[in-house]
Amino acid sequence: MLSYILRRLLGVIPVMVVVGVFVFSLLHLAPGDPAAIIAGDNATEANIARIRASLGLDRPLLEQFGKWAWATVHGDLGVSMFSNVPVTELVQQRMGPTFSLAFTTMAVAVVLAVTLGVLAAWKAGSLLDRAVMGLAVTGFSVPVFVVGYIMVYFIALKWRWLPVQGYTPMSEGLWPWLRHLILPSFALGLAYVALIARITRASMLEVLAEDYIRTASAKGVATLPMLLRHALKNAAVPIITVVGIGVALLISGVVITESVFNIPGIGRLVVDAISRRDYPIIQGVMIIFAAIYVLINLVIDISYSFIDPRIRYS
Amino acid sequence: MTSSRRSILKAGAAAAALTGIGAPHVARAQQKPPRQVRMVPHGDLNVLDPIWTTQNMAAYHGAMMYDTLFGIDANFNPQPQMVGKTDISADRKTYTFELRPGLKWHDGTDVTARDCVASIRRWQAKDGAGQHLFERVADTPVVDAKTFRIVLKEPYGLLIDALAKTSTPLCVMMKAEIAATDPNTQITKHIGSGPFKFIESEYRPGSRVVYERNPDYVPRSEPASGIAGGKRVLLDKVIWDIIPDAQTAASALMAGEVDFFELPPIDILPTLTATPGIKTEVFSKLGNVGQVRLNHLHPPFNNLAARKAAQLAISQEDIQRAAIGNPQYYQTCGSHFACGSAMGVEDGSEALMLKAPMAERQAKARELLKQSGYDGKPIVLLHATNIHIMNQTMLVVAQNLRQVGFNVQLASTDWGAVVTRRSNQNPPEQGGWNVFYTYSGGNATSSPISLFAHAAIGKKAWFGWPENADIEKMRTEWAYATNLDARKGVARRLNKTMMDYVHDVKTGQWVQPAAYRGDRLRGLIQVPEVIPWWNVERYA
Amino acid sequence: MSDRGKIGDFIRRNPTIVVGATLLVLITLAALLAPYIARDPIAFEPINRLRGPSADFWLGTDSLGRDVYARMIYGARISLLVGLLVALISIISGAVIGLLAGYFSKVDAVVMRLMDGIMAIPSILLAIALVALLGSSVKVVIIAIAIPEIPRVTRLVRAVVLSVRDLPFVEAARSNGTRVTKLLRRHILPSTVAPLIVQATYICASAILTEAGLSFLGAGTPPEFPTWGNMIASSRLYLQIAPWTIFAPGICLALVVLAVNLLGDGLRDRLDPRISRRM
Repeated sequence: MLSYILRRLLGVIPVMVVVGVFVFSLLHLAPGDPAAIIAGDNATEANIARIRASLGLDRPLLEQFGKWAWATVHGDLGVSMFSNVPVTELVQQRMGPTFSLAFTTMAVAVVLAVTLGVLAAWKAGSLLDRAVMGLAVTGFSVPVFVVGYIMVYFIALKWRWLPVQGYTPMSEGLWPWLRHLILPSFALGLAYVALIARITRASMLEVLAEDYIRTASAKGVATLPMLLRHALKNAAVPIITVVGIGVALLISGVVITESVFNIPGIGRLVVDAISRRDYPIIQGVMIIFAAIYVLINLVIDISYSFIDPRIRYS
Repeated sequence: MTSSRRSILKAGAAAAALTGIGAPHVARAQQKPPRQVRMVPHGDLNVLDPIWTTQNMAAYHGAMMYDTLFGIDANFNPQPQMVGKTDISADRKTYTFELRPGLKWHDGTDVTARDCVASIRRWQAKDGAGQHLFERVADTPVVDAKTFRIVLKEPYGLLIDALAKTSTPLCVMMKAEIAATDPNTQITKHIGSGPFKFIESEYRPGSRVVYERNPDYVPRSEPASGIAGGKRVLLDKVIWDIIPDAQTAASALMAGEVDFFELPPIDILPTLTATPGIKTEVFSKLGNVGQVRLNHLHPPFNNLAARKAAQLAISQEDIQRAAIGNPQYYQTCGSHFACGSAMGVEDGSEALMLKAPMAERQAKARELLKQSGYDGKPIVLLHATNIHIMNQTMLVVAQNLRQVGFNVQLASTDWGAVVTRRSNQNPPEQGGWNVFYTYSGGNATSSPISLFAHAAIGKKAWFGWPENADIEKMRTEWAYATNLDARKGVARRLNKTMMDYVHDVKTGQWVQPAAYRGDRLRGLIQVPEVIPWWNVERYA
Repeated sequence: MSDRGKIGDFIRRNPTIVVGATLLVLITLAALLAPYIARDPIAFEPINRLRGPSADFWLGTDSLGRDVYARMIYGARISLLVGLLVALISIISGAVIGLLAGYFSKVDAVVMRLMDGIMAIPSILLAIALVALLGSSVKVVIIAIAIPEIPRVTRLVRAVVLSVRDLPFVEAARSNGTRVTKLLRRHILPSTVAPLIVQATYICASAILTEAGLSFLGAGTPPEFPTWGNMIASSRLYLQIAPWTIFAPGICLALVVLAVNLLGDGLRDRLDPRISRRM
């Protein structure tokens, strides 16, 4: 098992290399001039050129790439071209909000989706099945920001149950942290319910068709406990797989939600950086995301072996 | 809704209120109001050096934590701020400035004349008005710890105006060792002498900026007016909440989670004012002036007739209606120097035919376009889609130009890409452009010298690269004029020349009110291009 | 059984497929007939802006004064095109790469690292970066949305190929001396068709939604030409002031996504024998 984990961890390297080369080329080969944006609208061309030189942007591309790659390998992700704040510090400040949002969103999505999926599988083919799956898909068919705005309008503005926007770290209290995350988690979570519910339903159906379930059912074991104890446990593997995929997709969804609910997370950091062409931030964050992605996949693969004893890694 | 459900909701709301969910502002009203304001500015503060960049956000930051030698008051007249005594020699070539007592840096040391000279020198390297001034400066000697001089080669009437202006970059004072930083590199230490202190440990780029009251600041005795007068701070803390989404910021203001929203889109103002307690107010009376820049280097706009055609085709009324919406907040304007300002003269604006019906204007434009020999080659319009006013304006401009026969190609990108592409002097099909749009503050636009865009020096000018010797002669004449009336006379001739030459096409002027909780704040003062937080009191 | 009976039977046993397909056909028809049932979606008079539904403008006007109904009908064209092309591009690319990777282990090692790399970049950030740097056009947006979908399709196809590759009938064909391309096409590809069709529908629905999200973040299709996504995004300020500008495209978008999803779910239930047996 240990050697498996080690091998997988080493697998981070080629992925990060691919991401690094890809993102760097994308940014530097295509049009974009952070120096002009930094200088502001009233600046002269001469001033812009001087700023460009002072940021090292006029050096040959290979030299810029070499410098950046060397620094990255040593853990130095550089500083923002605009605010001079180190990229690692910016990411650190913003990890908390993004992870909090991702965690609560997944919690909401999984709870809702597994419930709906089990229900639909139990009554497969019936009107309830169609209705439940239809409901799940509805959550998915309206863009997240529209759902968000509507929720804010009713729940936050009209009824004043929850705040409109913002984020408080958990260090300032569990309830303040939670109440800022309720609306965003539901708005974003609804989009993933369909995905997870669908797989839950499909894999539950597969398991329910197995002989041993039919035997237990024929023996008269009550349906609900049987569903939960036998069927769900065995259906867990594909469900966890799709949750893993969901987590990877989640970062994309988080970007929009962070903008709508003003959560100072990494999603907004990168979107702002892209519009400003703040290369060090964009490059640094992409590398970090690559590493996180590999780690999450590893965690998921390892969790398989705990849930399904038939899966073993040598 | 059935009555049982309604009662459940009511019970839920009551339970929620008990646990503190919702209506936080109700609970707050019982205690003394915190001396703190949360403001949503129009952009993000990502550069902390107000000299290195001309971005407005950096200027706001500069006005909070730094101080200036002079400042303009509510009537745009320069007044002394850090300077106590000013002495101008009889030949008007030597200005002697003595600092007023009590000025200290945030680290406790005294402000000296040496600091001021170093700051002025760094500022002029980056500022158009400053550069124009320093071409005429012989020396800037330090006389003693509190006194320094600016010695000119020839009299220059705009010296104090340049030091006092609020158009970016402002001439803020920094410590000599910080001001020694190369003007093309950012400063790394932030020590000012202004009424607020910048709390660097709480600064979150893209998310939050925090300022605290400077208890050691000695304000002047006069009442506050513009950025002049006494900067008495009545708040303990000012927090900038960076909320890029306008809908979210509006909701936050309505819910009372923020106190001040700098630039709400005009269309949602009615929704905001419908909320009890929210006031809207225009803080920058001269507002903004839009300009469509034509590329003078390449066809078709290197031809005067084609430029005149465009000038007639572009409808200020259509643009303003589409971009701003409410006629209460915009006006058509025949001046290159901001209507309503001291230089807002409209001589020569008959060329725009502003009062004529569009059909007539378009007919004339079509004729002019034919005269110019336009061959139907597509013209490239740089279209910034992520800034609402720019987005709407360019869509109107595209339609206007098409209606008179131009073959328009919209290059839709974000503003960052426009900023990159507009500096390309190649022909449009090789990465260049024909038309782009931007806007500047009315105050900045009103000075033929301060706004670099007014220059007509060909390839070294601002993007568009107009070239006209008469315009340049008059700009210098304006700078040398000795009094307001003389300057106005020059401005009249200059405006007419710019209209006849079609230097660029102005698209009208508008003001954008800020929205704030009038039920909590009072004392906000009007300053163009800067949002000041001294004088403001939180009373609820 | 009579023909009508057969059709009725089909509808009763596959309601989701029928509902989904019908909705899609209706919307596609409206899109194709756009020039006959709506006026120019691009021309405008700013004086008409933000007017509610009236006899002249059936669904009112937007912030420039453009006809919302016309833009909604024409918007179907580009929205459906985006969904369709993204699905086609990602399915075809993914299938080709997945077939090669599944069959040739040398190709597999290299290709899967590449796919991992692409999957490691959050799709929306990749899309925003591509659009910001290459300019906003329908072409770029389609490519920007399609690229992140390719690795998942590749994985799907590769998994099927791996499971089928060593089955007896494939072995038999191989030992018969069948050329590789024919082998892949005739013997292996058919097993991938069913899951690919289902996946295509999900990708199509997701692409139409992603386009809306990209427009929200300022990296969508150029605002001049209507898509439901960019209509919703550019009207988001007007939720309380002019709700028709959001609801018209919003409902269309939701309907199409729902229809495509229903179609996909229905097809999946039909084509996957394990599930259809249970039912």
